[in-house]
Amino acid sequence: MIRAAGRRIGWLLALAAVVVAVGIGLLMAPSDRSVSHSSGSPVPATDASARMLPPPVTGFAVPEARELGGQADVTRWAPVLRSTQARQRPSFTSPAVVSVGRVTPEGTTNLVDAEGEVTRGGTTWVHARLAVLPDGRTGWLPRNALGGWSFVSTRAVIDRAHLQLTLYRNGMVIFRAPVGIGQPGTPTPTGQFYIRDRLTAYASPVYGPLAFGTSARSPYETDWPAGGFIGIHGTDQPNLIPGRISHGCIRLRNAAITRLGQLMPVGTPVTIQ
Amino acid sequence: MHTLSLADIDVDGALRETAGRLPTRSEFLVGGGLAAAAALLVPGVAGARAKRSDDAILNFALALEYLQAAFYTEAERVGALSGPLAEQAKVVGAHERAHVAAFREVLGRAAIKRPQFDFHGVTDKPDSFRATAVAFEDLAVGAYKEQLPKISSPQYLAAAVSIHSVEARHASWIRRLAGIVPAPTAFDEPTSDGQTIHIVNSTQFVTLHAPETTAHRPPAFTG
Repeated sequence: MIRAAGRRIGWLLALAAVVVAVGIGLLMAPSDRSVSHSSGSPVPATDASARMLPPPVTGFAVPEARELGGQADVTRWAPVLRSTQARQRPSFTSPAVVSVGRVTPEGTTNLVDAEGEVTRGGTTWVHARLAVLPDGRTGWLPRNALGGWSFVSTRAVIDRAHLQLTLYRNGMVIFRAPVGIGQPGTPTPTGQFYIRDRLTAYASPVYGPLAFGTSARSPYETDWPAGGFIGIHGTDQPNLIPGRISHGCIRLRNAAITRLGQLMPVGTPVTIQ
Repeated sequence: MHTLSLADIDVDGALRETAGRLPTRSEFLVGGGLAAAAALLVPGVAGARAKRSDDAILNFALALEYLQAAFYTEAERVGALSGPLAEQAKVVGAHERAHVAAFREVLGRAAIKRPQFDFHGVTDKPDSFRATAVAFEDLAVGAYKEQLPKISSPQYLAAAVSIHSVEARHASWIRRLAGIVPAPTAFDEPTSDGQTIHIVNSTQFVTLHAPETTAHRPPAFTG
């Protein structure tokens, strides 16, 4: 009892000491801090702040943080990491549309443009365009058969009526050129496709200096080597462009295909109309 | 399962070279005194050595910033997030890209190249995105804490500190969204270089092989 009372007195004495100390501090405060006169204008501090080191100069500036733009025009693609079946619906029990391999006929990594994805029963499925006949088919691939996403903000439109290729980036026209397309007996197929690969430094003047492989296939040239895929490439007969001259491929003059090679990344969606 | 080594991540050797140049804490403390003495005698040599050491530290930070920037950019592009999580990815992604730009600017030709990333679908779902973002931000805070005391240049230190505190804010933000206590301890521990590299390796987010989308064989298109 006596011990408890003693502890309480001790706490009270300690608290009183703190109150006194704070009070003294408040009374003393104006003497070494900036104060306002009755006019409200501050008086410079005493030498306390003058003794402080100046703030360091930063060695480099972090630039303004910019948000991503042009989300509406972004297309994503992923490489095929392992061969898999594209299915009609996002389910392993759904019928297979086609087998999708890791490598294109050109020996490059196969890739697919994604249209969307869903998760069913713990498995994520990607809805993708397929490089098969009939043109325009899509299927569902298990996400874990694909690699990391890449993104493009370009899209190409090939206008068969006006014999013209237009390339857009973020919705703006950045390139336009006349083209040669398929002859009446072997027309260039129409639909939604994408750029699968890019071939350069080959010795084949017929195709010019550069060729893009697309996911489009000619239904008229199925016995063509490698299956009759449609390319976008240069030419050794520039005088025939524009025109309906090819077996289905899209031909550009060599200067134009070289420029397009600098602007159009793989994965770019291609509309042929 | 194949575990990546530093050599796997660092295809051009720049990051390994960077990590090799990073002074340890004890080396830094001892070396600091020696460097100061050397600076009095041969200031040019000491200055060059300090510059190389600082470049290595900034490159190490740049590697982490590449990783974070790519992660948030992919999450935003994929578009699987909504609400506060989407807002976090949008704002933090912009910050991380700004950090990358800052380090690349100051390092110039000494900057390491951007690696290829494969986030194995973690950006496709909000739950996996959130968990990965917490891990990344905590890692960045710990890694910066380890590196900052080793920076020789007061100017670089001031800039790096300004990034470190932003990373800490990012960590608090995503921890809050994940329902984790934003500041669980009074004192944070640094994350050593080895721990940081081990953690990054274990994610396997840095791809061994970029897709080969260009070839040099003659086309076999329909012509």
